Amino acid sequence: MIKDFARHLFPRAVLQRDLTFTYTFCLGGLAFTSFLVLAATGALLLFYYQPTPAAAYPSILLLESSVYGGKYLRSLHRLASHFFLVLIVLHTLRVILTGACAKPRELNWLTGCALLMLAVFEGYTGYLLPMDQLALWATQTGMELVNTLPFGAALRTVLVPDGVGEPMSLLRFYVLHILVVPGAVLLLSSLHFYRVRKNKGVLPYL
Amino acid sequence: MKRGYVKSSPHFFRPVKVSMLLLVAALIGLAWLIPAPLQEQADIARVPNPVKSAWFLLWIQELVSYSKYLIYLVLALTPLFLFLPWLPIGTPAAKATWFPKEQRLVTVTALALAAAVLALTLVALFFRGPNWQLVAPF
Repeated sequence: MIKDFARHLFPRAVLQRDLTFTYTFCLGGLAFTSFLVLAATGALLLFYYQPTPAAAYPSILLLESSVYGGKYLRSLHRLASHFFLVLIVLHTLRVILTGACAKPRELNWLTGCALLMLAVFEGYTGYLLPMDQLALWATQTGMELVNTLPFGAALRTVLVPDGVGEPMSLLRFYVLHILVVPGAVLLLSSLHFYRVRKNKGVLPYL
Repeated sequence: MKRGYVKSSPHFFRPVKVSMLLLVAALIGLAWLIPAPLQEQADIARVPNPVKSAWFLLWIQELVSYSKYLIYLVLALTPLFLFLPWLPIGTPAAKATWFPKEQRLVTVTALALAAAVLALTLVALFFRGPNWQLVAPF
């Protein structure tokens, strides 16, 4: 069933010359692969992580010291997140440099931009969760950057109503990181792939 | 099958599948070699110096360290980025090609911005020490 669905998402036939690997380097597909690895490893991490300021760090310590493969799983999740961001940025750059964002692919360009922004936000919300010094202060600095934006103070209040690393903020980052943003990424990715089919390919081909 | 076209299965799906498997294998291998860092427990009373944001936001931190008003440069460029397909920047490329000459301005601008973001990130990552002073990386 999954195989049939994947086949349905893409065109039945493609121009042979567009299959040249060096046109795309499969960067979009690789970014989505990283997302799938993130989802799989993240789902396993959920079994141990506790999203409260007092329990978050000890739950990571427990995962790393007492759970078989726990330390490795966390490393894999972190590494996949770095790959996800780098690949999605490179994919965006490839789309610009091959002129593939031009009409009639403008809707897919917009969904791609939204996916890029969501990927950055997903990375940012995940940064706080281990609740170590790196997590706390990197997130705090990110919030200072948000403050420099117009309406930044209002946005900051929505994200961190009680201060970075406090109970409500950690809970909001957690829900955004594990549910809201990945859900949006999945929905937009489906639309993105569907539009590739509607546009009859991944590249200008006429 | 029309001339020049091939069936997606297997011609399109095979390279996609192979590249996906190679990436997963690379991730699985590299995760053994690069463990995720874990510092001491968060403490709001102990401020590290320097304080750096997440690596993917460092270029903005570096930029606003010169002047906080430079954030408006980023904000001004965002709509240009979003509405790229609607800008009067030449005719779309006729076929798949890198750096189509119909959009040379976009190509040069995109490469220049990517280089600037990369340079700002590297400076912030390796050349910023206590009090955000420039330091030698090693």
